[in-house]
Amino acid sequence: MSDAADKRIGQLREGLEINLKLDFMEDDEIRDIFDEIASFDPSLRQKILALSLSLSHASSSFVLSTLARIKKARHILSLKSTEKWLTNAFDLLDSKGIDPFIKFISKADDTEALRKYQGTEGLSLQSILPRLEAYIQGISGLGLKVVQGKTAYTDTAAIYLPALMNLYTAQDENFLIYKLMVVHQWSRIACSSLVPEDGIVRAFVKKQRNHPDIDSIFRNFQEREFAQDLYVILESIRSREFLVAELPGLMRKTDELEKSVFEERPHLESLSGKTAVAEGLFQYYLCGKTKGPMPAEVKVIFPKLKALRQAKSTSSTFELLFDIYHAGCCITGKYEARDLSFLGTIRTDKVSKFLRAKRTEKKKNYEGMINRLLSAPEMENRKKSSAAKTETEERELKPDEKYLVIKGKIIELDSELREIVEERQGIPGGILVKGSDLGAGSPVTLADLVAEEEIAEGRTGGIPYDEWDYKRSGYKKHWCSVYEHDVYPGHEPFVEMTLGRYGAYIGLLRNKFEMLKREPKILRRQKDGDDIDIDAVVEAFSDMLAGLSPAEDLFIRIDRQERNIAVLFLLDMSGSTKGWVNEAEKEALVLMSEALQALGDSYAIYGFSGMTRTKCDYYRIKGFDENYSATIKKRIAGIEPKDYTRMGPAIRHSITLLQSVEARTRLFIILSDGKPEDWDAYKGEYAIEDTRKSLIEAREKGIHPFCITIDKEARSYLPHMYGEANYTVIDDVRKLPDKITEIYRRLTT
Amino acid sequence: MTVKSEDYMMEEEPYYRSVGDEIDLFAAAYLNRIPVLLKGPTGSGKTRFMQYMAWLHKRPLITVSCHDDLTASDLVGRYLVKGGETLWVDGPLARAVKVGGFCYLDEIVEARKDTTVVIHPLADDRRILPIEKRGEVLKAPAEFLLALSYNPGYQSVLKDLKQSTRQRFLALEFSYPNRELETEIIVHESRVNEEIAERLVTFGEKTRNLKDRGLAEGASTRLLIHAAQLIVSGIGQAEACGAAISAPLTDDAEMYGALSEIVSSLF
Repeated sequence: MSDAADKRIGQLREGLEINLKLDFMEDDEIRDIFDEIASFDPSLRQKILALSLSLSHASSSFVLSTLARIKKARHILSLKSTEKWLTNAFDLLDSKGIDPFIKFISKADDTEALRKYQGTEGLSLQSILPRLEAYIQGISGLGLKVVQGKTAYTDTAAIYLPALMNLYTAQDENFLIYKLMVVHQWSRIACSSLVPEDGIVRAFVKKQRNHPDIDSIFRNFQEREFAQDLYVILESIRSREFLVAELPGLMRKTDELEKSVFEERPHLESLSGKTAVAEGLFQYYLCGKTKGPMPAEVKVIFPKLKALRQAKSTSSTFELLFDIYHAGCCITGKYEARDLSFLGTIRTDKVSKFLRAKRTEKKKNYEGMINRLLSAPEMENRKKSSAAKTETEERELKPDEKYLVIKGKIIELDSELREIVEERQGIPGGILVKGSDLGAGSPVTLADLVAEEEIAEGRTGGIPYDEWDYKRSGYKKHWCSVYEHDVYPGHEPFVEMTLGRYGAYIGLLRNKFEMLKREPKILRRQKDGDDIDIDAVVEAFSDMLAGLSPAEDLFIRIDRQERNIAVLFLLDMSGSTKGWVNEAEKEALVLMSEALQALGDSYAIYGFSGMTRTKCDYYRIKGFDENYSATIKKRIAGIEPKDYTRMGPAIRHSITLLQSVEARTRLFIILSDGKPEDWDAYKGEYAIEDTRKSLIEAREKGIHPFCITIDKEARSYLPHMYGEANYTVIDDVRKLPDKITEIYRRLTT
Repeated sequence: MTVKSEDYMMEEEPYYRSVGDEIDLFAAAYLNRIPVLLKGPTGSGKTRFMQYMAWLHKRPLITVSCHDDLTASDLVGRYLVKGGETLWVDGPLARAVKVGGFCYLDEIVEARKDTTVVIHPLADDRRILPIEKRGEVLKAPAEFLLALSYNPGYQSVLKDLKQSTRQRFLALEFSYPNRELETEIIVHESRVNEEIAERLVTFGEKTRNLKDRGLAEGASTRLLIHAAQLIVSGIGQAEACGAAISAPLTDDAEMYGALSEIVSSLF
């Protein structure tokens, strides 16, 4: 600190000391005050001294009470925020006088009000996300994603955490809180807190509906928030043993932290009934004791809490939850939810939504299986008699049978199908009907044609392409108009986030791709070359001496095997890709771009969508001649699901683009999420045939098309549409980013 | 040059704990003169298994670590010039055939594809090794056995084993041992106490969870033993795990950070 600053501090101290003495304070009391001030961070001291001096003009008692509040504020807020808060208070004193100042500063007693002053410094989730995600994936062995959310909760597939952590000044402690949050959320998954066994759920749900889940239980509570908070704390008590056994090191470190959190918690007597119950339980979780007595109504539960620690299933938790809830509801007063620190919250609605999505996915998968079943090659009619059985009998599968009979067709089951059929003990009728419906065509109606003209209104300058009509076995001339646009750049730092998320993986990926680059290779034992191969000469010489005819390949040649590949990625941007598919496609593009950047292959990325033949939109994300720049990254971020999937014209336009590029190998990779379909008659067999035809055209022109499909349904038409060896199906969209790079590697070596 | 098979004999019993039925399978393969292919991630005990088998069957073990400059004559043999005279020197493969030993080609995928073809006549029912330069054909005695090791984890298109090579072998799959066994192995190899060994095994499992999620490969038993040895030598647990496990696994700072966090959560 400079001398001038020291001098100023000296003056302030002197002034304050004089004022305090005037107020008849004892010397040791004054020393205490100065010690107190000295205990603050150096950068705050001058301001606090100046404030104390101003206050001491009024009364020395203000100095004492103000110092206590500053201490509290400092405890809760970070250094910067405390400074801000203090400046605010000081300004108030200067401008409006002592009364508003006292009012303002006494608000520091309310922790929540004080928190509002917390600025944005602290530890941001983004900065530690890759590390935290790898941490929890390693610990859990599950592919859990870490995502930013309002509070800490999980839907069992992703863990949501708040964007910023600034409870402490030290970043290590903030990180510890993040770690604890993520670990507690994992314990909810690992201890099946969120997906209790079916029997347990059914026992606690009054109205039985289809697929009851944890959300159905909590919907029964009048005071839902109260019940959910109680459940979070009770489950945390139950899963504690689990965490201690799994992560002894972390839980040891937590003890300190739990004590300090406990210190911060309010006294129970200052809270209303229900709030005190939840708060008391939380304090019990933290330190095994409470600040002040628990409301008498719930005291009886404490012995049961000990038993809960050993409980193996959520059933005991629910019993206790109902006990406490009912006891708690007898106490009047509203429940005011208080933050449960690192325990986070539960969002039963999100869990329920995720479970529903999983069920739908499974069902789709199942439908796809049946479809495959129906299109499976018919077996020799070995068991003719079975064809006569009634339909209900046909759908049943006898254990150990490898064959399934559907409408007289005897079909051999592969292992995957068998498993599913055995699991369900037969095939539900509804799915069977749905499955056989897929792939059916529909005729063009006049109304469709009229409507599409309307849509095309006001558009000119499209590039015309023919379309294949399988019924007439010929092309419809200039049937489709393709319009090229640039993707509107997105503002989200999507690429950076993806790079962060896949941090270490991208390193591996670059390495893998750099390996493909084929370093100039030294070829030994050549007939001619740049240098003499000493080993070969020695060998030839010894052969000669041994009376053998010596080898003539005595040279070393350096071979530069250069890659000469151009690849175009065509992305399905239809409405159905909304959500995970779109997200995964974008992530896949980012990884692919990184990999290709390392490899140096020439590449372009385009997307397509549109509505009707007159409005086939073709979006440029990256042209062959463009560099992978910030603009391209923004365009990737800006990829959004649009309308329909008319694949033919998009493929034909891609062919034109690819043909204009100089390259020995032209590769064309299509990423789509299902079968081609447009708003008009472009569906079913017609669409499949047109797509197939356009891919054949590509092959005729020396382009290698390859299709990656994220689709679980209706796999039957895929081999026909894409050609047996030229496609792959990815059933879990989240695997797309990893898979696509692997596929590319395989294709180009 | 004369080869003394004693030079390649295992004198002491190598420490090896059986993970499955690989010892019996090997014995049966040996009896039926089927060559074996040892598949498994690095550090899962393939080389140790071969040493143990050589000791068990009392045969000399000749190991060749393959690399991409390994030529056929490196394996079979070559003429050398000595004082104006030429001298034929057997390669390790020819030597193993002559003494009826075990020839173990470690990391066979690293060798050039044209080199691997040399072993083909040895690996089918002909069991012969033609030595072109001498115009000689060596017939392998009944005691001879050919073994290859191969890490499918590399999954590199460029370094895959050819089907024509693969389909001559009986494959023994090696994987990481189960918890109890791995703990026992670590305790035996490093003399660390059981509690620490167990934690190391847990950490090993966590790193294996991260395979393909940023790590190319999880920690092998070998790495866990290294860490245990460091701990026995008085290095702190966190430092030992960092230096012996995390740092060899990854160069990425974030991933190393995550691994360190896992260590600090476990220990």
